[in-house]
Amino acid sequence: MKKLLLFLFCSTSLFAQDDLLDMLEKEDAKKTTFTQATFKGTRLINGQTVETLAKQHLNFWISHRFGSVNSGFMDNFLGLDEAKIRLGLEYSLTDKWLLGAGRSTIEKTYDIYSKYKVLAQSNKMPVTVTLYGGMTTNTMPSGYTTSSGNVMRYQNNLQRQSYFGQLLIARKFSDKLSLQLMPTVLHNNKSESIYLDNNLASMGFGGRYKLTNRLSVSAEYYKNIVDKEDYEEGAGTPYPYQDSFSLGFDIETGGHVFQLHLTNSRGMTEKHFIGQTLGTWGAGDIFYGFNMARTFSLEPKKK
Amino acid sequence: MKHLFLLTLLFVGFQSKAQLFMTTNGEVSFFSKTPMEDIDAVNKSVSSIINTATNEVAVQMRITNFVFPNKLMQEHFNENYLESEKFPSATFKGKIKESVNLTEAGTYPITASGSATIHGVTRPIELKGTIVSTGSTLALTCQFEVKLVDYKVDIPKIVFAKIAEVVKVTSKMNYTKK
Repeated sequence: MKKLLLFLFCSTSLFAQDDLLDMLEKEDAKKTTFTQATFKGTRLINGQTVETLAKQHLNFWISHRFGSVNSGFMDNFLGLDEAKIRLGLEYSLTDKWLLGAGRSTIEKTYDIYSKYKVLAQSNKMPVTVTLYGGMTTNTMPSGYTTSSGNVMRYQNNLQRQSYFGQLLIARKFSDKLSLQLMPTVLHNNKSESIYLDNNLASMGFGGRYKLTNRLSVSAEYYKNIVDKEDYEEGAGTPYPYQDSFSLGFDIETGGHVFQLHLTNSRGMTEKHFIGQTLGTWGAGDIFYGFNMARTFSLEPKKK
Repeated sequence: MKHLFLLTLLFVGFQSKAQLFMTTNGEVSFFSKTPMEDIDAVNKSVSSIINTATNEVAVQMRITNFVFPNKLMQEHFNENYLESEKFPSATFKGKIKESVNLTEAGTYPITASGSATIHGVTRPIELKGTIVSTGSTLALTCQFEVKLVDYKVDIPKIVFAKIAEVVKVTSKMNYTKK
């Protein structure tokens, strides 16, 4: 008899309103729900994020890096007297695939790249994975002196090309915290010195933490995998380049993303900020900079 | 003997379960009109159940499934307005006030009173709509208005003109017997 009562109780409770909602929740849990906005922008600070743009959207990036803050107040107004600029455009062919191009002041460099979102984080997938790759062309006159003091001479145009590839893996842990890994390879067709390897591998770590809905802090670090002692033995001088570390703020205001940051890298393409960072934070070689993105929808209006 | 008894009970349980009409691809759309811009978005994977034995209704939708014509708007809607990471779903649960037998074919104007949860805020609400029944399927249409401030949806002053304070919500659902 007890059992009967229990059963009756069970079957009637099936129809309580909360149970209807529970049933719906079970149904909804079967559906795939994609995680949105792991990062605010397609760029973290210097490097990229897993984010791509929605289909047929155009992003215009304006980036500045001022002079180093230790370059003197009278001489250089703490770096604000001068700036290196990168102008860039990004266009998305699909929700997952975008193409981009840019021009940087540093080494008069043109860059083109492509980015493809392979996996998107959802209730069934723990991470977002994006492939990123491209090339840069150095258009400085042959025989110029690089920032590290080497003289670059080009015999042909092929020597001016550099290539980069990156695997971006990110997870949005909560509505506030997103972290990203960026294993990277770089290849310069011609290196600055015979002692510098044409290839460079680097492991990038990045992330953002949302302070409010529109403001977040971000950080980015690239650990280069190089044998510095080997270089020193051959060249007789210390290895010229450092690992890139940047800290910043992202401010988003409907359609715009403003990124303000401090970084020891002045370049804004992978070749420059991963491969050719000269300054160190300890020595005060810190560059104040900002990125500004404006997104335009070129989608035809549906009616 | 005991087992037979249990089986019968189970059977009875299933029988009453057949009173449920369900959909997982109902449509809910909303429209907000301001001098600046018309905004409309649609969610085509809304789940809902009607229990015709008790005339109870439950509706649940994922906020991220609302599709906007403009993807930037969609991101703001999720990130800033409805905070879908914190409050992933909007729900309604309630009961049809009229004593109608929805398993009989016919057209029924109905009023459902209950509570709606949007943006983590639960409020009593009364919805007026129409159900067309064929006996084995139900088609529900319903229109209502949602005041954003009621559900603590903060719209920043700068974009205030872009978003109406009251949005019109329309829903269309086709239920089949479960």
